[in-house]
Amino acid sequence: MIDYQYLIDYFEEFPFLVQLVWRISGVLFLAIVLLTIYLKAIRYKLRKKENEHVTFKKEYEALLVEYLYAESEDEQVSTEQQSIILKLKNHLPIKYKRKMIISVLYNLMNEVSGEMAESIKTLYYKTGLIDYALKRLKNKNWYVIAKGIGELRRFKIEEAHGAVIKFIKHPKNEVRKETQLYLVNLFRFEGLSFLDDLETPLSEWAQLQLLEVLQKFDDQQICDIKPWLKSNNNTVVLFALKLAQIYNQFEVKDILIDLLSHKEKEIRICVIEVLTNMYGIEAKEILKTNFNELSIEEQLSFFGLLENLVVPSDEPFIEKHIFHKNFEIQLLALKILKTINIDKFMGLDKLPSNKEVPEMFNLVNNV
Amino acid sequence: MDTSTVNLILKTLHYLFFIYAFSAILSYIILSIISGKETINYLKKKSFVNYKDILSSTMSPSITIIAPAYNESLNVVENVRSLLSNHYVNYDVIIVNDGSKDDSLEKLIEAYDLEKIDYIINEKIKTQPIRSGVFKSKNPAFEKLMVVDKENGGKADALNMGLNISTSKYVACIDVDCLLIEDALQKMIKPFLDVTNAQVIATGGVIRIANSCVIKGGKLIDVNLPNNLLIQSQILEYLRAFLLGRMAWSRLNGLLVISGAFGIFDKKIAIDVGGYDTNTVGEDMEIIVRMRRYMEEQGRKYRVTYIPDPLCWTEAPDNYKIFISQRNRWTRGTIETLRKHRKIGFNPKYGSFGLLSYPYWLIFERLAPIIEVVGILYFVVLIVLREVRWEYAFTFIVLAYLFSVLFSIVALYSEELTFHQYKKKGTGYKLVLLSALEPFVLHPFILYAAIRGNIDYYFNKNKKWGEMKRKGFTTEGA
Amino acid sequence: MNKHKIVIAEDNSTLSLLLKFRLEKEGYELLMAVDGKEAIELIENGNPDLIITDIMMPFVSGLEVISHVRNKLELEIPIIVFSAAGQEEMVLKAFSLGANDFMGKPFSPNELVIRVKRLLS
Repeated sequence: MIDYQYLIDYFEEFPFLVQLVWRISGVLFLAIVLLTIYLKAIRYKLRKKENEHVTFKKEYEALLVEYLYAESEDEQVSTEQQSIILKLKNHLPIKYKRKMIISVLYNLMNEVSGEMAESIKTLYYKTGLIDYALKRLKNKNWYVIAKGIGELRRFKIEEAHGAVIKFIKHPKNEVRKETQLYLVNLFRFEGLSFLDDLETPLSEWAQLQLLEVLQKFDDQQICDIKPWLKSNNNTVVLFALKLAQIYNQFEVKDILIDLLSHKEKEIRICVIEVLTNMYGIEAKEILKTNFNELSIEEQLSFFGLLENLVVPSDEPFIEKHIFHKNFEIQLLALKILKTINIDKFMGLDKLPSNKEVPEMFNLVNNV
Repeated sequence: MDTSTVNLILKTLHYLFFIYAFSAILSYIILSIISGKETINYLKKKSFVNYKDILSSTMSPSITIIAPAYNESLNVVENVRSLLSNHYVNYDVIIVNDGSKDDSLEKLIEAYDLEKIDYIINEKIKTQPIRSGVFKSKNPAFEKLMVVDKENGGKADALNMGLNISTSKYVACIDVDCLLIEDALQKMIKPFLDVTNAQVIATGGVIRIANSCVIKGGKLIDVNLPNNLLIQSQILEYLRAFLLGRMAWSRLNGLLVISGAFGIFDKKIAIDVGGYDTNTVGEDMEIIVRMRRYMEEQGRKYRVTYIPDPLCWTEAPDNYKIFISQRNRWTRGTIETLRKHRKIGFNPKYGSFGLLSYPYWLIFERLAPIIEVVGILYFVVLIVLREVRWEYAFTFIVLAYLFSVLFSIVALYSEELTFHQYKKKGTGYKLVLLSALEPFVLHPFILYAAIRGNIDYYFNKNKKWGEMKRKGFTTEGA
Repeated sequence: MNKHKIVIAEDNSTLSLLLKFRLEKEGYELLMAVDGKEAIELIENGNPDLIITDIMMPFVSGLEVISHVRNKLELEIPIIVFSAAGQEEMVLKAFSLGANDFMGKPFSPNELVIRVKRLLS
């Protein structure tokens, strides 16, 4: 039998600090209890959602497959298809169901081509999903906008171009990236026109994604990359260099040679690599003359170029550098010497000057 | 000295204790809030990323996975297989057999059809020499694999050899028995490629505890909560540390530690700073501090980032002896690193690194166990002298306990909203109960281990890495 | 009444369902697997006349399935592989392991049916 009044009186007698701390403790305890209940609720909800996830997924998949094979003879929408469209439409207002439907449609669209892909796209329109996506573009939250653009990209909704392109200079990086991906996915090389006046840096990640998208298309009608090579935005230059390499843009070789004296070291190194793949023999003499002013990375890159494009007249240059203080460069020099003048290479063994030569020599010899 | 001076001193001590405790709790609250915001931000950004694109890109940067191995014969073949089945395109694996006394090398040679090759190592960092040699596979299916057998030199030394050999731009340093999820490399490499306003020098991952999880063929099949209370407590502790702590530090660019079990580094910078320090037991923390210091001294903008996704699963100690040994080592590692780089502490030249990260680690991580033990001893003295004001003492103890439980539950809550790894029914109850028990099951031992660590550091210079008995991954949920 | 049996290993459930539907309409019997391990089990127990498998699957990949069928089980069952774009290396490996045909994604299900019919005739 607890006498509450006694406890309260006892409590009141405590010094203020102690009372305060007890009150805080009480609050904390309450918070713990509430959070625990909430935690349990979340776990339950998540579990339920997953089960529904599985059920609905099956349902939507079945509907989609039925729809695709319920095509009538005259290319008009058949009655079965109509009823499926209606069914889906009714589910759309509920967000997670909508997400599920979109995901099912998209998963399939990715895998099949031709008529079937077109059918799925038609379904996307007819059910009204497109309206939901377009509405997202008007939302004030950046991640909703970005998701909307992403969806429009996945379903290749070209009509949305006007609405999407407005976001190309959006302050948030993710929105800009989604816009860029949309443009390139739908309009391929033409979609790259945003590079003309891109002021924000194009991250390596974004570059790789854009390249992957471009490589998916069979028509390799690349556009003019010259203006981008001359851009003030270094990341645009780097991207253009990648394009030059992948698409063998021999026309731009002269610009590349100019770029060898770009003020950004990373670009210079990249240019040498690209020239290697392009048989840029003209670059050889320039780089040879300036060799000693180059940074180590550029020198290494140049030796990579030499390895692929070496001719006998380069021999004196190679010889000069077989005792280069950088390990990798020295190794390359020895390898190249072996390929162009095997006798001189074997003669190195007899040289008493450098002790390191024997080890590396043996390695290169046995390769 | 009269009683009023003694009283004054005692009162000051009291106030100092309270200020310390109060600021510790305040710092946890602040860090939790920052972590929460950063996690939400991360999840929002993550929902757009299509990691599959970078999967097949041949232009994606090269990564070398370096995995030192010592007497790992029991599982080494399976572990290597798991490392080789990652979905990233441009990577290779170097297993550094650090002078193992068992048949690890023989097992690998047999399983992967290895043959010795001629190799000359560019010794940018001095390491122990090669022993049996460098091996590659005759089978093109395993061309990503290289095994290096060298004289024993410790984990740091083995990693350094990996650094010497690798020709990639980035290196992923990993414990060989860690299970890497298939898209781990893609996710971890993203910060290096995505941050444009600074150079990312290292990215850390989250370590998840694999005990009792079902792993088959090198893939994680099922996540279970183990029954062992010690392991459960560690899981909770890791959740708190990773979800509520490291996310915040990543945001503040103040991460001082990247778990030694899994992290990716910019290789050039790691080599430029001289590689791992072989004279410390906390080499994972020490190299990050040294890399940060290097960038600060060079005045270059940099970041150390962190990916909260569960990408790496490993075994945690399942008995107290090994656990204490592990925490003892962590303590000594922290002390060694903080001492070695004490020049940074409170030094405005090092920006937030010196004025925020270092002091925080010093005061709330390194000194915390000492202050706590002193506090406890003081309390005991007071009890003996019958000077305890029980109404105060009791209430503060309750308060501290409730805070601890609350943080744990908040951590659980974050976990549910983010990665929701423990899905099974009934786990929720267990974890909540665990939050209530953990202060008793884990904390005293951490305290004990930390004190032992301090004693060992100052008075017992002979201790090095303990042995962790390999139990291997179970194939049935325990 | 000799229905040809086909095993399909594909982790994309929507695509799986689509293919099942389509091929069943053509009169084949379908056995579905979501990963390589299931596929191998179905092959060992079901004695199929044709195998269609994706390359990138969780757990056990398509390449391992082909290797298992050709090397371990030593069967000559015709195998068609799917591959996502940009995985030429994988496709080459698949052929060297013994695959008969491949279709890059995205593909046309009609064309798949044609190839299936060809391989089974």
